[in-house]
Amino acid sequence: MEITVSPKFLSFCFAALLLSISSAWGGAVTDSPSLKIVATNYPLAYFAERIGGNRVSVNLPVPPDEDPAFWKPNAKAVGVMQKAELVLLNGADYEKWLPRVSLSKFKLADTSSSFKKDFIRIENAVTHSHGPGGMHSHEGIAFTTWLDFDQAAKQAEAVAQAMIRKRPELQTVMLDNLNTLKVDLSALDSQAQALASSKPGVPLLGSHPVYQYLARRYGLNLKSVHWEPNEMPSEEEWAGLRKLLETHPAQWMIWEAQPSSAVIAKLTALGVGTLVFNPSANRPETGDFIEVMKTNLGQLKAAFH
Amino acid sequence: MQHDFYLAWRYLCHHRVRTIILVACLSLLATLPLVLHVMLDEGETQMTARAESTPLLVGSRGSALDLTLNALYFNAANQSRITMAESDRVGQTGWADPLPIYVRFHVRDHPLVGVTLDYFDFRRLTIAQGNMLAMLGECVLGADAAEAFGLKPGDSLPTTPENLFDLSGVYPLKLHVAGLLAKSHTPDDQAVFIDLQTAWVIEGLGHGHAEGKKPEQSYGLPFSQVESHRVHDAKLLTYTEITPENLDSFHFHGDPSSYPISAVIALPHDRKSSTLLKGRYIGNEEAVQLVQPLETIRGLLENIFRVGILFDAVLALVGTAMLLALGLVFALSLRLRQRELQTIFLLGCSKTKVLRLVSAEILLLGLASMFVCLALLEFIQLYAGGLVRLFITP
Repeated sequence: MEITVSPKFLSFCFAALLLSISSAWGGAVTDSPSLKIVATNYPLAYFAERIGGNRVSVNLPVPPDEDPAFWKPNAKAVGVMQKAELVLLNGADYEKWLPRVSLSKFKLADTSSSFKKDFIRIENAVTHSHGPGGMHSHEGIAFTTWLDFDQAAKQAEAVAQAMIRKRPELQTVMLDNLNTLKVDLSALDSQAQALASSKPGVPLLGSHPVYQYLARRYGLNLKSVHWEPNEMPSEEEWAGLRKLLETHPAQWMIWEAQPSSAVIAKLTALGVGTLVFNPSANRPETGDFIEVMKTNLGQLKAAFH
Repeated sequence: MQHDFYLAWRYLCHHRVRTIILVACLSLLATLPLVLHVMLDEGETQMTARAESTPLLVGSRGSALDLTLNALYFNAANQSRITMAESDRVGQTGWADPLPIYVRFHVRDHPLVGVTLDYFDFRRLTIAQGNMLAMLGECVLGADAAEAFGLKPGDSLPTTPENLFDLSGVYPLKLHVAGLLAKSHTPDDQAVFIDLQTAWVIEGLGHGHAEGKKPEQSYGLPFSQVESHRVHDAKLLTYTEITPENLDSFHFHGDPSSYPISAVIALPHDRKSSTLLKGRYIGNEEAVQLVQPLETIRGLLENIFRVGILFDAVLALVGTAMLLALGLVFALSLRLRQRELQTIFLLGCSKTKVLRLVSAEILLLGLASMFVCLALLEFIQLYAGGLVRLFITP
């Protein structure tokens, strides 16, 4: 008996074969175990989540009510970082606890190392001397690097490269996601540039010295004080502010968070308005990094009208 | 033929003491050189295994052997130091991952080894009790070191100054035992491991101290940086134990890339990377050298195990003497058995038959000795690893 195979059946078999191969390939990509990442601040965690999507599990070990820049990990948190496959560092002296903990160097990714030469050094750092080493200084570096959205894009790129090194099979997906993120960051950068150039040189005040990179990138005429939103500054500090306003007639003070109504009232009496530009170092209660930054730029508009 | 062997067997059984002595002599004669070679091979395997698993080593120019023994076996030789910049240089090539290692200090004759956490993954060292290093000032003990010190996780281990009269020298530090490593049957069992940063605290590059006088601060200029100056004097209290309370006061001075290490274990990504990396260190102007530990250790072992040839020669001489002695014993026993052999001849056996009987006896003795020799070898091979670890390797 002769068996005849119809061309339709053959093409069906071929299609089924192609389908099974492609699904096996797709399965191989999607079945990669979830990449365990620890990020030391929210912007990095956000970048990792955007780039990795559901293929990564990102842990930000800093409690929600704490500033990651001043957070110090305990042994348990160090244990969490040791178990991660990748630890994303902001760099720029952000992780001051790093020399005091034991972490695998192969797992660390310093996301700001590519623009190290552009770091802003904090002048007049504490100088002291003891022992045979003579005088030395604990120099500081401004660390809110991501408020310059161009630098933020570079950090996102470093995050992507570190993630790809750990999961090379996800390179295409991650690079696609990185490009989308870079488009968003570029839009923020353009928006901030346009805003700052609409009224260049407007004197501004910063409630805390965290806006150095923002001021440099967008040419803001900004001077900062060390004030906390939930604390009433001393009379000495108010006197200093009044003295400064004589030479730096700012009408707006930028705050990390909404200050108390008493502070707002006192500032209003001096002719200084308040606006919030949240650096978003920790995970926001609502929204994400891009949304928070859009809100920040929206708030900043008031200073340029 | 079968009868020849039966008679020979019966004869050997009848004179069992003499048979046992002969079999013991013959089997020992055959076993000794073989056992020696098994032990030497096992020793060589064990000693090269560590070198084999360490692809490349970067250290200061000088003796490749000193560098290898220091980095692999934590040998006490005063290895010249290199800086962390060399480790960074290896990493920056993109051809290899660097594992910096600092072997300089000792705690009660056990090496105090400064490493990064990656070293434990590389050597597949696991924690048997307690936890891995997490904070500055912690240590984990190799299995033998833990046994020697009688310490457990949570205990303290003070480091000892190298020289009591060197007041500005090595920083005495009370280490906290975080965990004990599982036995690995390698030199790691003898060591006390600390993080490189803790090693640098002991070195005096990092320290923690109580706050001095309150800095004078001026709030008169709110928009300039707060200026403060602290001048600490020699009476400043420097901590000798790192606790959660004083951990934050510990800090390092100077450029981290200038901090000392004794060697860098370079882990090339592939053969091409390995070749490219080796090329980087060719040239006499280099202050550092790159060595292949396997080649260095093989060179050393070739010299050491030349003694094996001497053993063989001695054993060959002793064996020949013993065989001659056995031949003599056998010849004398045949003379003693002259009447017995005469009786066999008178019973009607030919001289050939008598010769066959004696040959069967020798063959049976040889076979029995061979079995004993094989059994002994099998036994020795089973325990060769342990015996070598006990007598040759640390």
